[in-house]
Amino acid sequence: MRIIGLLIVIAFGSLLRYGVFFFPEWGDPASPPSLHVSPHYIEEAIAETAVPNLVTAVLADYRGYDTMFETTVIFAAGLACFMLLRVLQRQVPECRLYRHIPTGITLRIEKGGKLPTESGSFERIDSNWVPHDLIIKSTSRFITPFLQIFALYVIAHGHHSPGGGFQGGVILGAAVIMYAISYDLRRSIQRIGEQATAVLGSAGVLIYAGTGALCMVLGAAFLDYGALAGLLGVDPVMARSHGMLIVEIGVGIAVSAVMVWIYYNLSSAGRHDEGL
Amino acid sequence: MNPIQIPLLIPVTFLFASLLTPLAGLLGRSWAHLVSLAGAVFVFFLSLKGLGAALAEGPLRYYVSGWLPPMGIEFVLDPLAGFLEVIITGMTVLVLIYARKSVEIENPDKAVPFYTLTMLLMTGLSGMVITGDLFNLYVFLEISALAGYALLAIGGKRAPFSAFRYLTLGTLGAGFYLMGLVFLFMTTGTLNMADMSRMLPLVNGSFTVTTGLILIILGAGLKMGLFPLHTWLPDAYTNASSAATSLIAPVGTKVAAYIMIRMLIISGFPPLIELLTWVAAAGIIAASILAIAQSDIKRMLAYSSVANIGYIALGITLANPLAFIGAMLHILNHALMKAVLFFAAGGIFIKMGTRDIFQLRGLPKKMPFTAGAMLIAVFSMVGIPPTGGFFSKIYLIFGAIEAGTWFFVAVILISTLLNFVYFFRVIQTSFFKPYENGGTTDDDVKYESMEMDEMSPGMLVPTLIISVVIILVGLFNGAIVDKVITPGHPWFSG
Repeated sequence: MRIIGLLIVIAFGSLLRYGVFFFPEWGDPASPPSLHVSPHYIEEAIAETAVPNLVTAVLADYRGYDTMFETTVIFAAGLACFMLLRVLQRQVPECRLYRHIPTGITLRIEKGGKLPTESGSFERIDSNWVPHDLIIKSTSRFITPFLQIFALYVIAHGHHSPGGGFQGGVILGAAVIMYAISYDLRRSIQRIGEQATAVLGSAGVLIYAGTGALCMVLGAAFLDYGALAGLLGVDPVMARSHGMLIVEIGVGIAVSAVMVWIYYNLSSAGRHDEGL
Repeated sequence: MNPIQIPLLIPVTFLFASLLTPLAGLLGRSWAHLVSLAGAVFVFFLSLKGLGAALAEGPLRYYVSGWLPPMGIEFVLDPLAGFLEVIITGMTVLVLIYARKSVEIENPDKAVPFYTLTMLLMTGLSGMVITGDLFNLYVFLEISALAGYALLAIGGKRAPFSAFRYLTLGTLGAGFYLMGLVFLFMTTGTLNMADMSRMLPLVNGSFTVTTGLILIILGAGLKMGLFPLHTWLPDAYTNASSAATSLIAPVGTKVAAYIMIRMLIISGFPPLIELLTWVAAAGIIAASILAIAQSDIKRMLAYSSVANIGYIALGITLANPLAFIGAMLHILNHALMKAVLFFAAGGIFIKMGTRDIFQLRGLPKKMPFTAGAMLIAVFSMVGIPPTGGFFSKIYLIFGAIEAGTWFFVAVILISTLLNFVYFFRVIQTSFFKPYENGGTTDDDVKYESMEMDEMSPGMLVPTLIISVVIILVGLFNGAIVDKVITPGHPWFSG
């Protein structure tokens, strides 16, 4: 059986190698891919869409429909993790650990024991006991605002320089995840709850698809941002650039929310109680 | 509504439904169900209307973002796509009606994500059928695959494991498709299907194109569960919840088969496919024999799915009009009969607590309507007139005769015999197991104490509707072939 497997791999590998053999030279201007569609994108993108970053022009305008469904893929991934991992029945853990903040003493409370009141002098800590980690907490507090501002810049500037909704969204999501790692999961969920991540995830896709539908309502094709010219008060070409910004914002919201949602489910095995 | 917008509205309506379903779920599970059902019904009518318009006025084309192909993405609803679209959306409507009760029993906690993922799955499947762009197809493939893995992973204890296997192999299939697409793009420089089919003859004989086509067909074969790439399918279908199986089994693999049809049409049926015909024939026989070896009804049905995918692949790759009609008709028939059988299997498991086909004794006494519907589906599966299955097999046989390949005629006839064997066991145990009044064995006592206990109406009605449709398809197969399939045919539509 192993030998058959090996033979198949070898045959298949040589097929691929041989197929690649006839590929055009790397960067060859006379190769088919650079003769048919690409010249149009390279020569006309600025004139047609007013977007200097022509990768974004292709991604969010010429082939904007693909990107809308890529965003949907992200949303589907978050939903799939929720469907598979989330434990909806509340389970009481075996024991809980609390730290008395003024003295630093750790309390272990078994199942059924009396839990400390919410007085502020106790904090719950994960059951794989976590020591004080001043350096990690301070560093993450220091970095987080910069991280978030950078994320917003990447989202907003995607159609002028490298960047865009996907990249910016990941950075924004990473800021929240860093908070969850450096403090704990419960505190992060208190700030941005599970329902918020789910609703934001679908809202991001809705912004994208809604923009497309709005163009259709205004009488143009789906996602034909030119139709937004009247609403935005600019000429149709500039409207395409603005339309791209709107959908990139939608992508950013969806990606960041779904990143956080997936992290919550993965790190706590769906219990949303303790993890990492 | 302007019919020109229908190609766009079909997937986009599903997308909006998938975004609205969780919101409706905040109000309650039944609202989520209602929203998804409303979305599916709406798209079903759109598909019917679109098919009508495509038959009357030729393919409907929609240019997304207003860019003309090959710059932008094009949606094409031709009669072939419309036919598939009507099948898959119609099945979804019926499955959603069935699923309400079934999900309520099997996993009520996850009902809202179940309906949302169903809508996402349908976004992907309906989009794959209707798109005119090869990369766009890949994006839809990803959506439907992700939703499919999640849906199949909920169910029995081993469901996550078998879904993980499906995930590994399914991702590999999608990867093959994408890699093959790169090979084709490197030689033609376009992603638009119509443009690609104009370009490919110009680079005829290029080895890169052949490699690309092999990869794409391999990817589609993995996705459709074509023997010997079917190994993920039986486990995934057996262990998943019955709502998920009856949603994915009738339509999921058919859409992958449709990708294969599209690719073969685009590439002008390269000589490569003769090999594929043999693979399909081997699959029909092997999967039928494997089905005989099963005692779990869902597992047996899963193997029978593999065999039936073999029929479809055989019909496509024989590459003549009659065989093609047979394959298309079989896509319709198989979707219908597999839905009835999986519906019935789900209902039987709920009411009789077993999936073992040797313990189905007393099925007609306990669940007479389910048993009746199942009987019709089995007749269609084996190919007894006037059910639909008979006619698709007849077309396939005529196609094989026309191709002059008597061997494949024999394959179809032998496999019909094998079909008869494995389905007859179900019929025999449930209908004809000998019974003497006043018997003393445990089994007899159990049989005597049985009372009628049908599936709930929500599950029964869709089952009965489809079994009536199976007979209708058989009776009116001439009309379907003449009016719908023939115009969508690559040799007639040009």
